[in-house]
This record gives sequence, structure tokens and C-alpha cells, in this order.
Amino acid sequence: MKRALLAGLIAGIFSASLNAETCLSPYIKQKTGPEKVMYLWTLPAGAGSDYLSVIDVNLASATYGKVLKRIEVGSSGNEAHHMGFTDDRGRVWAASLNTSRFFIFDVRTDPLNPRLERTIENVPKLTGLTGPHTPYAIPGRMLITMASGPEGTGPGGVVEFTNEGEYVASHQTPNHAYEIVVKPEFNRMLVSSWVPQKMFMSPMSQWDPKQFSNSVTVWDLKARKIVQELKGDPVPLATRWALKPNASYGYSINHAGNSIWMFRRGKDGVFSYGKAADLSPGCLPGDLRQSADDRYLYVSCIGGGEVQAWDISRPDKIRLHDTVQGLVQANMMHLTLDGKRLYVTNSAISSIDFSPRYALRLIHVGPDGKMKQDPFFAIDFSQAPNGPARPHDMLLN
Amino acid sequence: MPAIRMAPDFALDGVRLSGLRGRPVLIAFIYTSCTRACPLLSARMARLQKKLTAARLPAVLLSITVDPEHDDAKTLARFAEAIGARPGWHFLRDEPAQLAPVLAAYDEWTHVLPSGELDHPARLHLIDGAGRVREIYSLAFFDEEQAFLDIAALEKKQGQTPFSR
Repeated sequence: MKRALLAGLIAGIFSASLNAETCLSPYIKQKTGPEKVMYLWTLPAGAGSDYLSVIDVNLASATYGKVLKRIEVGSSGNEAHHMGFTDDRGRVWAASLNTSRFFIFDVRTDPLNPRLERTIENVPKLTGLTGPHTPYAIPGRMLITMASGPEGTGPGGVVEFTNEGEYVASHQTPNHAYEIVVKPEFNRMLVSSWVPQKMFMSPMSQWDPKQFSNSVTVWDLKARKIVQELKGDPVPLATRWALKPNASYGYSINHAGNSIWMFRRGKDGVFSYGKAADLSPGCLPGDLRQSADDRYLYVSCIGGGEVQAWDISRPDKIRLHDTVQGLVQANMMHLTLDGKRLYVTNSAISSIDFSPRYALRLIHVGPDGKMKQDPFFAIDFSQAPNGPARPHDMLLN
Repeated sequence: MPAIRMAPDFALDGVRLSGLRGRPVLIAFIYTSCTRACPLLSARMARLQKKLTAARLPAVLLSITVDPEHDDAKTLARFAEAIGARPGWHFLRDEPAQLAPVLAAYDEWTHVLPSGELDHPARLHLIDGAGRVREIYSLAFFDEEQAFLDIAALEKKQGQTPFSR
């Protein structure tokens, strides 16, 4: 415990700030000033190459809110989905759900002009796994959750590469791995779960609930070994650990259960997992974000077309704090360093999107945690110059 | 700890990495005027060296400066003395042209911040006796107790008990 406290103290030097980036690996070099650019992983709604949209988000810029450039990856049908910075913030790894490719962009040389540095084509052959979801940084390496086995069915796992893209190892999971969260102080990694690749690339009418994963695995991070499996409502997607050093709890959104679940590490090191709240009927949560002060969670409702703020200042008694409506198919979110702006996109997966009104929108968050949609900010991806496109995951730099 | 990759070889200040085969090597990239986290890291490395010595584990520690223009040999020697480094812990520098490929091979870079401090990836690399990178630590979360256990495990894998020397 003494070691955990010391590690927490050191980590605190780097992370205990109310003005901090959230929902990133704690190993990632933190930004020290306001965001200037957004990278948005984008897929065409019709034919054409997937691309990285580079968007001006510098509040002082005359071109704030404009797409500065589009960097095509030179292949189509990838199903652009999630991204992650490497630990030094020098590269962005962009994963493709359908083709299982990894695209590595250099964003260090010139953050406003990312360069596609490398494409890793043969991921299923290299790793034995398919359907990469979220790239997550650890020192010098990336961990990427993989939904399924080599044929797009069966259990998946977590794969490990060097930052430059050299394969290191594959680690099996008993479920369809979705997203990672790490708390270094406890040497613990949590991995949430969803559905296999063949299913998520099919229309939702063909999804078989019997194949839904319903567990979050708890790992000994150092040993890369699963030590516990927490079972709850089906399809626990985004998972966030409270940010204070040595915080023992966090939350997941459980898509098919339409609920928020809480995990907590007990003093004996054993985790408990229980429902924290039911979401409003039809919400169908898509993303979960957190404020840097551990006071609020933000939940996007793909089904309900809204973003909800939940007050978690009493971690065991969370309550709905505010709602912004009228955001059709609301999905991915990204909170700025100062906690004041929440960017929202609205494409989930091409196989299940029900509205073609694709856009990047902005919600302002007040000091009281109340939210208001910006009526003037919108990038309409349905009218993108090279054809309608679906915006998904975002990173700020 | 799976083998992550072969550690890129280098020769700096007369120390060649491949010449240290047979012993675990811990490499840290530092600069002496760093005021924020580096002193804490060096203090932790000093504690690690004490533990290794007490356990008679023959690991080598290398601290390579990423700021050779300011960290000359005398400055590094003073720094080593101030933090209580003992024999077996080398503080290395070279001219920028010679150092640059070494930094690049370890995915290290430097960037001068408006404050004048250097920004660089704050990592440590643990290399086994066969020259393979077996662990990469973040400076922010570096724990000398864990590094000691990792080094002991590497020695044990080589067929020696950690405390046999």
C-alpha cells in the first residue's frame, strides 16, 4: 500500500489538476496549453478513402471550427472508428473496425499537418485477432482491444505493439474486448466488452443478443493476466476510472442494459461491480466522458439523441444533473482541457447509423456543470466537399 | 515480461551497450537542469542501485543526457555525485551529431518549451542480458521496487538465483 501511495503521489505531480485532459491513458504526456487542433477519424458515407479530418479548434483563430485538411489513408471500407495518442503524444494510432488495419500518423513534426507514417495491413495474421476498437498508450507501446478471433467471430483480446508499429504480443480475453482503462497506482487494467466483428458490421436487426458480451475483465497490468471478471448488464462500452490519485472506483455505460454501472476496488484488492443508475428509456448510451474534478460524467444517448450530465460528487448516489436534447444519433464526445467545451459527433458504425445528418457539434459546459448547445457551431459532414461522411472519434492537440 | 524488441546498440562516452551483455541494463534519458520530475527519478534510481548492490545483482544503470549542449562531462559528474551514484551507474553524453541517432533509435526527441525547459519522452528501458528490451517504464510512474523485482526476475531467468553473486 505504501508503494501504491508513493506511485500515486508521483502520478499526482503530473495529473492532479482540475485543468486537465480526461479520458486518455494516464501515461500520455499532458497538454499544457489550450487545444489548437482536432483530429477527427472520418469515413465516407459512400465510396472513397477513410480520412483524418484536421479541424481548427483554436478559439483565437480566424478559421476556428473549419476543416483545415483531410488526410486520406489510401484505402476504403476500413470503417474508421477510434484513435489514441502514443505516450509521448508524437503519434496517433487510428484503428479500423472492418479491415482491422492500423494507421499511424506522425503528429509531432507538425501537429497542424499530420502525416500518415505507416499502415499495418496484416493485423489478423500477425495477432490472430480482428475488429480493433481502441488504441491505448502504455510506456513506449500501444495496447489495442480486439473484438474477435481471426474470422471475425469468437472471443477477442488485447494486442500490443511498439509505438512505431512492431508487433509484441497478443493477450486473449473471454469476451469481445471493447475499451481499456488503466490505474497505474494499483497495477490494474480494466477491459470492457461488446460484440464480435461480424456482428457489429451487420445491420442491427441481425445482431444476436446471445453473443453480447456482458463483462469487464480486471487485469494485473504488469503480468498481462486477467485476475477477475465482473459481470453485469450486456455490452459495457466506455469505462472511466475516477481521476484522483488512488481513486478506487469508476463507471461504465452498459449499452444493451441502458444503464450506468459502477466498479470499486475493495481494500482487499477485490473488485465489486453493480448498477449505479438506469438511463432514460431509449437512451442507448454510446460514449462516456468525465470532468477532471471527478464531479460529472457525460453520457451520449445514440437512441435518445441527447447528452446527459450526471453528478457523481457522491460516487455511490449518482444523479442526473442536466440534459441537452436535439442531438440526433449523439455518439462520441471529447471534453476540452479546461472542461468548458464538449465536442460531439453523431455517427456510430456505418452498419447501424439511422440518420444521415452527420455533424460535429459543440456543447458549452458551465462552472455549475450545466450544458448549452452552441447554436452557431456546426460542421456539416453530410455536405462534406468530397461527399457525405461519418464523423466518429476525436482527439485534441 | 515479453521481449519487446532488440535494444538498439550504441557507443557513448566509451560505453558500448552490447559490451554489457550478460547483465541487465536500465537506461534513463535525463537532463541535469530538469527541475520537475528528473530529480525525483534520479533519487529513485539511487535507491534502486542501493537495493541492487545489497542483493548483489549485477545490473548496470545508464543515464543518458538529452541535453549535451548544457550537460558537459563535469556537469554530469557533479550531478552523479550529488545524487549518490556509485560505480556501475554511468552518466553518458556525446556531441549532438553522435547522440541524435541514439535518441532516434529509442524514439526519444527534445523540444524546448517557452519556459526554457526541455520536453522529451520520459521513459526508462530495461534491457536483459541478451540485449532485448523487456520493459519500458514511464518516468511519472517509475517505482524502484518494481524495477528491482523485474531485474531480479531477469537474473533468475538466466539460471542464476538473484542473490547468488
